[in-house]
Amino acid sequence: MWAYVVRRLLVTLPTVLAVVTLCYVLLHLTPGGPFDAERKVSDAVLANLQAKYHLDLPLWKQYLYYLRDLLHGDLGASFRYADWSVNDLVARALPVSLAIGGTSMAVAAILGVALGITAALRQNSAVDIGVMLVANIGSVLPSFVLGPVLVLVFAILLPLLPSGGWDDFAPRYMVLPIALLTLINVSTIGRIMRGSLIEVLSSNFIRTARAKGLPMRVVVLRHALRPALLPVVSVIGPLAISSITSAIVTESWFSIPGLGKLIVNGASDRDYTLVLGLVVLVTVMAVLLNLLVDLAYAWLDPKIRY
Amino acid sequence: MTTRHKPSLARALATFAAAAAAGAAVHAAVIPPGTVLAARQEMVRNNGAEPESLDPAYIESVPAAEIDRDLFEGLTATDHHSNVVPGVAESWKQVDPTTWVFKLRKNATWSNGTPVTAEDFVYSWRRFLDPKTAAKIATTYAVYLANGMEVVNGKKPVTALGVRAIDAQTLEVRTAGAVPFLPAVVSVAQYGPQPRAVVEKYGKDWTKPGNIVSNGAYVLKDWQVNSKVVIEKNPGYWDAANVQLTRVTYLCVEDGNADLKLYQSGEEDYLYQIPPGAFNALKAQYPKEIHNGPLLGLRFYALNNEDPLLKDVRVRKALSMVIDRNILSEKVTADGQAPLYGLAVKGLAAIQQTRFDWADWPMDKRVAEARKLLAEAGVKPGTKLKFTYNNSDYHKKMAIFAASEWKTKLGLDTEMDSLEFKVLIRKRHDGDFQIARHGWVVTFNDATLFLALLQCGSEVNDQRSCNRKADELIAQGNAATDPAQREALLTQAAKLAMDDYPIIPLLQYSVPRLIKPWVGGYDEANGMDRYRSKDFYILRH
Amino acid sequence: MSTLPVVDSAPAGRSPWRDARVRFMRHRAAVASVFILALVALACVVGPMLLPNAYDSVDWNLMSAPPTRAGWHLFGTDELGRDLLVRTLIGGRISLAVGVLATLVSVTIGVVWGAVAGFAGGRVDSVMMRIVDMAYAVPYLLIAILVVTVFGRDILLVVAAIAAFSWLDMARVVRGQTLSIKSREFVEAAHAIGVPTWRIIFQHVVPNLMGVVVIYTSIVVPGVILSESVLSFLGLGVQEPMTSWGVLIHDGAAVMGAAPWMILFPAAALSITLYCANFIGDGLRDALDPKDR
Repeated sequence: MWAYVVRRLLVTLPTVLAVVTLCYVLLHLTPGGPFDAERKVSDAVLANLQAKYHLDLPLWKQYLYYLRDLLHGDLGASFRYADWSVNDLVARALPVSLAIGGTSMAVAAILGVALGITAALRQNSAVDIGVMLVANIGSVLPSFVLGPVLVLVFAILLPLLPSGGWDDFAPRYMVLPIALLTLINVSTIGRIMRGSLIEVLSSNFIRTARAKGLPMRVVVLRHALRPALLPVVSVIGPLAISSITSAIVTESWFSIPGLGKLIVNGASDRDYTLVLGLVVLVTVMAVLLNLLVDLAYAWLDPKIRY
Repeated sequence: MTTRHKPSLARALATFAAAAAAGAAVHAAVIPPGTVLAARQEMVRNNGAEPESLDPAYIESVPAAEIDRDLFEGLTATDHHSNVVPGVAESWKQVDPTTWVFKLRKNATWSNGTPVTAEDFVYSWRRFLDPKTAAKIATTYAVYLANGMEVVNGKKPVTALGVRAIDAQTLEVRTAGAVPFLPAVVSVAQYGPQPRAVVEKYGKDWTKPGNIVSNGAYVLKDWQVNSKVVIEKNPGYWDAANVQLTRVTYLCVEDGNADLKLYQSGEEDYLYQIPPGAFNALKAQYPKEIHNGPLLGLRFYALNNEDPLLKDVRVRKALSMVIDRNILSEKVTADGQAPLYGLAVKGLAAIQQTRFDWADWPMDKRVAEARKLLAEAGVKPGTKLKFTYNNSDYHKKMAIFAASEWKTKLGLDTEMDSLEFKVLIRKRHDGDFQIARHGWVVTFNDATLFLALLQCGSEVNDQRSCNRKADELIAQGNAATDPAQREALLTQAAKLAMDDYPIIPLLQYSVPRLIKPWVGGYDEANGMDRYRSKDFYILRH
Repeated sequence: MSTLPVVDSAPAGRSPWRDARVRFMRHRAAVASVFILALVALACVVGPMLLPNAYDSVDWNLMSAPPTRAGWHLFGTDELGRDLLVRTLIGGRISLAVGVLATLVSVTIGVVWGAVAGFAGGRVDSVMMRIVDMAYAVPYLLIAILVVTVFGRDILLVVAAIAAFSWLDMARVVRGQTLSIKSREFVEAAHAIGVPTWRIIFQHVVPNLMGVVVIYTSIVVPGVILSESVLSFLGLGVQEPMTSWGVLIHDGAAVMGAAPWMILFPAAALSITLYCANFIGDGLRDALDPKDR
């Protein structure tokens, strides 16, 4: 198993390089550049700007410069946030996004699994429909509707929480954004849990356990849950990635200085280095998270072997 | 041309005369007698966007300039009535048409105790315009200084720039041609002083809290990217006695609705801009907190003068005539922006507002005339127009309105093209458009900044229009020494150029915002929408 | 004591589809959802043709008007005076069409990719899944802008752009399930008796995946419809005056306090449709469950 882990980790570097190259090409193909502004820039200044950022070199040479810096852990200087290096920006935004996205994933996972189990055990009953109705709120209403509703209820009508902002991980600023992300994620997890558990509950080995006279609770928790969790774990990976790196609506509505905002601003400002730096980060996170998910598969279903 | 707080050469001279004669310092926050101040003088203010930099040489956006004017004080400054007032320079004098001498005050210091000298300005301006620094906005401001353009284009060394320290307290500035509004030019944040020793020591990191040294009323305490910028009162500032606010937090919320929620839940005292469509409702809800002063800005549509359909002036005139700007202002945008029928906006210095001769005709007459013009130009109903704008609800609404006017009144079909902002700018610059949405807001108050939109070959003339006679008049106007004559010439130039219908002027920008009733110092007549934190104060509440 | 029926013809067989239909009918919410969804789709297709208002006619005197019986403005008007009832129905056409199309494309790609990767295992699995990892990291916005600039604006492009990013999750889910299924006895058995691999994948493995695929598909649908609204907002999808539910909701969210009807009706239409899709998904899953025979 460890050989498998090591092999996967070794593949990280070529994966990152492949993605970076792809995005590099894409960025330069996209119309508009980092220096397009309302007022035209003088040729002399433009020449100097390009020299400063190596943009006057042929594309492949620029690419090599970038790779060299990348391998030294230097993600370069941002165009859009001129006083900051990409390393700085990412280092500041990542903990914020991890706190919000990560916490919401944990809460959504627990809640989603619980709701899914409840619905599955009372399949097709009023409880099932009711639970699913509630759990699905987050998937039928877009976040740019849920966000304002949450703020309206908890920050304006009942002035319990601030309507947005950030103060060094102060809990009161984290509650509503986490709640929003959780609402959205809980629906996916809940539905998959329900469907998967229903399937597992009709398999032979469960029938055997029931026939043995084991109480339902034991049957579910000890026997059915593990294999039923497989598809749930499959989605937790991508959900976690997107909650952490692409929670752009949540972040802009609640004014949270996280990664989502950096990515969108970077793309719209054609901030090459910032976008590439974030791409590196997301790739590494995706690879690691997916590795964890794959290892979880092996734990959940003993027949899966690498 | 007699609004109360309009800066002009006459006013600047008057200020100079008064200051020089009396030798008195100009006070900042002018607090009406009897006002009771709050014990806690702190303010949270939304600035609209995350600043791209805090280095005066690199800032370009309005939000970044707003913060930098608190940190770095230039030779002159703009107060909350948008008047040019003394800054580091306590007085100045125009000794000949192209030479000015500024006298710096002796007690101006950096926040680390070292005095601010004329050498600091020489260093800073050279650094700003040095092509090696690669400041994108350098060209826009270089054009006023002697040899400015040559330096920016790398044709002459920075030492050739028209700025020289005669002694530690005296700075001589030479301009490229007569620039009667120079004191206004040097009040911009980009012409602020930079601390040489600090810049050279820390390089790119010199603006970080802990490294940065400033000479303004405030110092930088904390900077959280995409979250907030916190500044605190600079005790060593020469006018510290008149600075009330001890701490200001600048937020960078871009979304108008998020901004509104922060205001309503008490997280901020000053809303940057009311979200589109909400003005009337908020006016009813917060009658004492709503403000909506006119801004020195123009909303217009650029018409590609080289486009085969729009080459004919009759077509351009027709398109402009049929748009009902009253409905646009009252119903479509519905936030108190005044209709415009000319180039100049209300409050702009050195120019009179002009109107098209058809501006007061009833709409039926306008439509009939427009149809006649189109027929003469050979444009049939059903012809397609292409309209390019950047995706924003506000512009979308205006664009749909214009399209519907052209359709119902002239029978022309408009294809709408919503683009991302950067792509729109590119297309406009490249002339790859037929009709494009455009807006123009100026950084200091002088008519030449608006006229630049129409000058032949000007780098901001996206519509590629050219009226040589108008350009001549502009040149004559700038050479004129008599302010009244200058105004007359520039007004004439504007009318002449606009009669070619190169653009379709629509509305004058305004600044709809909400401010908590305990914030003092705001002036709706401030057409530049520039405020120094030292001009604000908090009333007891 | 039962009398044996006299049989003089072969007994009528019970087809698995009939069984599936019976099981589906048991899921009450799913059945109701089918009817509701059909109604919504019908309204969107036929409604605009029957209503007197056009979706793009602006009325400057009736801007942001609340719902009223006069002039058939049952849903009110938007800030340009356009009738919201018609716009909601027209918008539904786009949203439903995009939803169905993009989902079909992304599900097909995702299932095939995931099943092949999971079943093949080893190197092939590794490479295919690393490609998925890579695709996750690419900024979605960038691709969308590039696609539109290079190929021009087209609703089919929106579908393609959305599908291009929605298949990833499905592939991961399917691969996970496949890993589990392939190690089960019946697969071993099929292998042992010499059934060709492609047959095992498509005739044995995939049907067992259907449960999760169907559920996940009904999760993809809302995501797809919402992605379309984000793209349209960025100028990459439907252009004015055409609209979609996503665009209507986005515009309505901005003025929620002042004109709640602008968001209420399109959001209700979207929610109802998605709830129905979810319940139908759950019902289909129950119906197609191979073990529930």
